[in-house]
Amino acid sequence: MSQRAKRKFFIAAFIIPTLVFFCVFTLYPIFRGIYISFYDWSGSAKNMDFIGLDNFRELLKDPIIWTAIKNDYFLVVGKVIGILLLATLFAIAITRLNIRGSSFYRVIFFIPNIISVVVIGVLWRYVYNPNMGFINSFLTLFKGEQVQTAWLGQENTAMWSLLWPSIWAGIGFYMILLIAAILSIPSELYEAADLDGASQGRQFWSVTVPLIWEQMKVSILHIVMTTLNGSFIIVWIMTEGGPDNSTQVMGSYLYQMGFRQYHMGYAAAIGVLILILSFITTVVLQRLLRRETIELA
Amino acid sequence: MLKKGLMVCAVLLLALTAACGGGNSGNNGNKPTNAPEPTTDNSSTTEPAAPAGLKGNFEIQYFVGGYGDAWWKEVIEEFQKANPDLKIKQSAGPEINDQMKPRWIQGNPPDVVYIDGKGSNERQMIDDGQLLDLTDFLASATNPDGDKVSDILISQPTAYDGGKNFTLPLVFGSWGIFYDKALFKEKGWAVPTDWASFLAVSEQIKGAGTSPLIHTGVYPYYINGGLIDSAMVAANGGDGSILTKQAALEAGSFSSDAVKTALNQIVELRDKGFIDKGAVSLNHTDSQSQWLQHKAAFIPNGLWLENEMKKDIPAGFDFGFIPSVAQAAGANSIVIPYTNTIAIAKDAKNPDAAKAFLQFVFTKQHAVRWAELTGAIMNVKADLDSSSAGSVVKDAMKFFNSDKTTVAPVAVLNADVEKAKQDATLALTVGKIQPEEWMKRLEDAAAKARK
Amino acid sequence: MSATKQHPFYKMLTVLVLVFWTVAVLYPLIWTLLGALKDNQQFMLGKPWALPKFPLLWSNFTYVWETYGFGSYFLNSTIVTGASTLISLLLAATSAYILARFAFKGSGALYNLYLSAMMIPMILGLIPLFFLLNDLHLINKLFGLIVVYTASALPFGIFVLVGFFKTLPKELEEAASIDGAGYSRTFFTVMLPLAKSGLVSVGIMNALNIWNEYIMGTVFINDPSQYTLPVGIAIMQSEMQYRTEWGPLFAGLLLSMIPVIIIYIVFQRQIAEGVTAGAVK
Repeated sequence: MSQRAKRKFFIAAFIIPTLVFFCVFTLYPIFRGIYISFYDWSGSAKNMDFIGLDNFRELLKDPIIWTAIKNDYFLVVGKVIGILLLATLFAIAITRLNIRGSSFYRVIFFIPNIISVVVIGVLWRYVYNPNMGFINSFLTLFKGEQVQTAWLGQENTAMWSLLWPSIWAGIGFYMILLIAAILSIPSELYEAADLDGASQGRQFWSVTVPLIWEQMKVSILHIVMTTLNGSFIIVWIMTEGGPDNSTQVMGSYLYQMGFRQYHMGYAAAIGVLILILSFITTVVLQRLLRRETIELA
Repeated sequence: MLKKGLMVCAVLLLALTAACGGGNSGNNGNKPTNAPEPTTDNSSTTEPAAPAGLKGNFEIQYFVGGYGDAWWKEVIEEFQKANPDLKIKQSAGPEINDQMKPRWIQGNPPDVVYIDGKGSNERQMIDDGQLLDLTDFLASATNPDGDKVSDILISQPTAYDGGKNFTLPLVFGSWGIFYDKALFKEKGWAVPTDWASFLAVSEQIKGAGTSPLIHTGVYPYYINGGLIDSAMVAANGGDGSILTKQAALEAGSFSSDAVKTALNQIVELRDKGFIDKGAVSLNHTDSQSQWLQHKAAFIPNGLWLENEMKKDIPAGFDFGFIPSVAQAAGANSIVIPYTNTIAIAKDAKNPDAAKAFLQFVFTKQHAVRWAELTGAIMNVKADLDSSSAGSVVKDAMKFFNSDKTTVAPVAVLNADVEKAKQDATLALTVGKIQPEEWMKRLEDAAAKARK
Repeated sequence: MSATKQHPFYKMLTVLVLVFWTVAVLYPLIWTLLGALKDNQQFMLGKPWALPKFPLLWSNFTYVWETYGFGSYFLNSTIVTGASTLISLLLAATSAYILARFAFKGSGALYNLYLSAMMIPMILGLIPLFFLLNDLHLINKLFGLIVVYTASALPFGIFVLVGFFKTLPKELEEAASIDGAGYSRTFFTVMLPLAKSGLVSVGIMNALNIWNEYIMGTVFINDPSQYTLPVGIAIMQSEMQYRTEWGPLFAGLLLSMIPVIIIYIVFQRQIAEGVTAGAVK
């Protein structure tokens, strides 16, 4: 075999198995899902009726989907702000502030990340339980009278109550990421800043942030994608989208429509909507977050 | 870099979608696929089935919820004894409907299915062509005692598509309001007999620092069945056809004056603060536990309640049952019945055994055992008084047989309308919407489902 | 690292926040333990703060262990997670190496295809995937889950590993080829060992995701003997609600977490390094 042929063979041998696997078990199901979105299909019937874009037209008129989109972005924004703020604070505290026991905090804060989201959902549902949960009895201590707030049952508290466990469960991973980024900043930069008499706050803005910006950007994009595609599991376990669809997110509504109300075609259309919104959001964010990244050679 | 990548991908995705759409149109994944497990019992379908001595595999799917599984195990064991050569498989549990769903989609369902619990919907199964037409079978089926099955039923099978039967009601029960007789006696609260007395005693209960009414907020169909449906029938002069019309999705059936009156009664409870504030986020067992602890006096529920909570019933607790409270003084009480049905899969591999099982089950002794083991009522006219069935069931039976009681027809809503009704009711109980909005939502949902 | 002049007040404040978050992370877990030792009466008292009464109900733990197949849930999860992580690493590493080092026509587009797949909501493909697995007779089989999880782990692996291989100096390969090593030998004996930290990083991340995956597990596996841990827990909690078994439910939640937390604490340094090695470059 000539060198050229060898090289070609090698490339093919390394590329094709992966690609085939990916096409069969990732791309094909997705395109098949897109295909189903043009049909009226219960999900269990033998016949499917082609209805073109009707599912999508229906979708635009459906008030619940708008609530769901709003809730999805509420979680996206809430998680990005909450997680990034706390994760950055913790990362700085653990690396830059000489606090005793800093590795203890690092170990503890990561624990929620290794717990299954199913367990987190069930656990927090009980934490919020109006009678058996500890949040209300904690508040009762301060108020002096019995607090009976139905955290997951009231529309004005339900989404916030879902946001908190999502942040709780997510922080550790991003904190570790940012810790590593901060540790890779050469300490001479901070020493130089010290000599210039820059305060801790100034050092943060002029040294730390620019140098960990790349990791922050990756974190933001990662939070956005995983939230749009995966936040429905915690919603489904904690509220099933209720009360009165007020905590529905796109994924949970997809599940509700496809598996509970027997409109698999419509559910697939919701899936396509998630796909489109994920793409748009990521592209817009890429643009917004573009900022001179300082490359460390 | 990523942005450009995204554009490339978007184009790629579009191109691939077009390709897939064309290429796959002949290969619908939902065509009946070969059953993964080879079946060995084909012989039994060709032989005429003798009532005893059935052969082959036989699978029963049943949901395990408030009724438990004791009755099922007992009956299936008896059936096994009568047919020693039959290999019986039980697929059961509280998640069984979701778990078995793939098998139904594949065209590899169990033989017999008991339709109950979340994730099950009789109407949808019929629409999807999953159930066997039982019309002819039921016209002649007899049980081992020689009784004709249809003669001993309390509630007759629902007629679909112009008189066809696909399901046979196995459980007959009633929604209603439950309370603790002992507590009411101790506190001197009067058991309500009509709307005015219900409001009066609720005021008294609230004054005593207890929530008058708690409900299963996460599953609002309990308050629909236990309170709103009977209120609608009561406001309709005791005429239960209002529910049948709603189930038939008739235009205007969700916005009649009777509906409005009933909803305004709920609004009255809400505005007077009679509905427990925490209820909205409670599921069935949580709210039922609260009620057992006397945190609330009344709970709308179904006849399975006592059996479901038997482990947690405090000493001295005495279950009381009222079918309805919304009627005017002197008017009949309204019973809103529910049924849970049993059916045979259209693709059953052993339909003879399935039919034999149905005939085997519908006897008076099994009905008595059902009452004893589940605390509820099987859909067979049987004398329960001499049995060890619970007092609630016996109380309920008395209501059913009283001439001061009107029994409404069993009406099952389409899944979309049902969901809309549950959402709207919950929104109504917390004051998010008013009756007008409830009626509009339901009319819209019905209109959409009619298409 | 030099700790510089910082206002003692701010430092105090920061420590307070850290302590608060420690409590926020640990208290729900401790509370689960307390609940796991209570009976229903104590649950219904409405005093969730209260310590469990004596005698402590350790029987809740034995009850869940005996009623539910935790042993087999753990075993199944371990098999599925281990196999999918390893297979996906191999498939991702081979392709990533080519995409990083051997430009060919369409290699850029291919890379972008994998990259964009990270944004795909898998739930959209759930039903078609079900029919596909059904046709392949892979429903209710752990191997079916392994296949699906492997595929879902590929894009992330390729994304990180392409970045990793790009940073490795070219001279190494050249030296290897002078020694007469073929392409694949160079890859397996030289490049793969060099990319170890990247592989570990990808492996840990994917393993964490796969270990906790719930939706596909619940749709593709309906046979209790094949349940993975999240599926088993979800079924358990729903059954226990019907039976108002709160104590055993909490015990079950705890049982599902403890082994993972112990493994994490033992290997926390390696895990923390692993998570970051690939991501920070």
